[in-house]
Amino acid sequence: MVGSALKRLMAEYKQLSLNPPEGIVAGPINEENFFEWEAMILGPEDTPFEGGVFRTTLNFPTDYPMSPPKMKFVSEMFHPNIYPDGRVCISILHSPGDDPMGYETSAERWSPVQSIEKILLSVMSMLAEPNPESGANVDASKMWRDNQEQFIKHAEKLVRKSLDLPENL
Amino acid sequence: MAEHNSNKQNDQEYLSAMPNQEFDQAVTTMQNNIQTEIAASSALVGRKEEISRLKAEYSDDDSPYQQKIKELCKLYSHVRKTRGDGNCFFRAFGFGYLEVMLHNKKDYSKFQENANGTFKKLMSLNYPAFTVEDFFENFMSLVNSIGEKTTLEELTQSFVDEGLSNYFVVYLRLIASCQLQIDADFYQNFIDSGKSVVEFCKTEVEPMYQESDHIHIIALTSALGASVRVAYMDRGGEQLIFHDFPEDCEPTLHLLYKPGHYDILYPR
Repeated sequence: MVGSALKRLMAEYKQLSLNPPEGIVAGPINEENFFEWEAMILGPEDTPFEGGVFRTTLNFPTDYPMSPPKMKFVSEMFHPNIYPDGRVCISILHSPGDDPMGYETSAERWSPVQSIEKILLSVMSMLAEPNPESGANVDASKMWRDNQEQFIKHAEKLVRKSLDLPENL
Repeated sequence: MAEHNSNKQNDQEYLSAMPNQEFDQAVTTMQNNIQTEIAASSALVGRKEEISRLKAEYSDDDSPYQQKIKELCKLYSHVRKTRGDGNCFFRAFGFGYLEVMLHNKKDYSKFQENANGTFKKLMSLNYPAFTVEDFFENFMSLVNSIGEKTTLEELTQSFVDEGLSNYFVVYLRLIASCQLQIDADFYQNFIDSGKSVVEFCKTEVEPMYQESDHIHIIALTSALGASVRVAYMDRGGEQLIFHDFPEDCEPTLHLLYKPGHYDILYPR
């Protein structure tokens, strides 16, 4: 079981290194252990997160790709679909049936033909378009809905933080 | 049994006392624990056993089942169990079919040819080549090995190896999904949950551990030109019920269905 997971993770690493999608750098933290990855995600243009470089970790189960990895933001985040502890709440990280937030049936789920690249691209579009319906962070959902201006300001602070810049100029 | 019930009650109290997010996490953990327990107690594909051993699984005065097992014993000599992990239909089909093909060269070439054609069909539906190829290659190498000098023992080894076995199941699921989508107009009539065929495939066919229904069997057998008879054994009615896929076929493989589970049967 571990053998096929390892083979697949190595193939995905190779693919991501040869053809990296725009705004994403990902790979094992340590090449001795292919089950722990780090991915850097660039905040998408024309969104409150533009310009930030956000650090995330991906934790793969030994039966990957039968089950999806767990993903977590290490950089501080404030976003409707990211739990305060950094865990990402997005439908592609869940198999159907394993149904925490009651995603719509049409939402894209994990299946073994999905890939790390697909997850990271979904997370990028989640940054661009938060879904306040599946609120992992209730405060962020509320602010996003009721006070976008404040949300944008908050996001800009996080962008500066992600770049190790002082919060205010 | 009593112990099991009290555990269940504790679990429920434990669950109802927690906030929603943690609840979801706890349910997932609990489901995983159940899966781990099942995995520890049964092989993905078990040994061939005397059919009469089924009798011991039901109490003597459970007449609906005992009656039907008698009927089974007349028709079948052996049964082979598969693990009840939601993949049992696909795993029973995969192993059972290849096992028959070890000695049936004529049907084998047709099966191999159909199997070979599935990758192109998936590509025509815009599936990602990069990930699908991996499953296809694993699948074909097992299918091709049947045409070479593989023994039953080697086939069994491949199917009890979790990695290889699950890769094979993933691809069978893709074949069924592909067939459903290609013939979407036909299959839409069988889906009563209000889902579209594509939604149904993404949520109930392609993901691992999702259980199978008639529609999965119809799609898979028709995609591979395979013929399967399923003997249905449940508490209802007096006799076993048989369904052939496709109808009026001469079945190559026989399966036993008990509510929620498929095993392999061997005719006398």
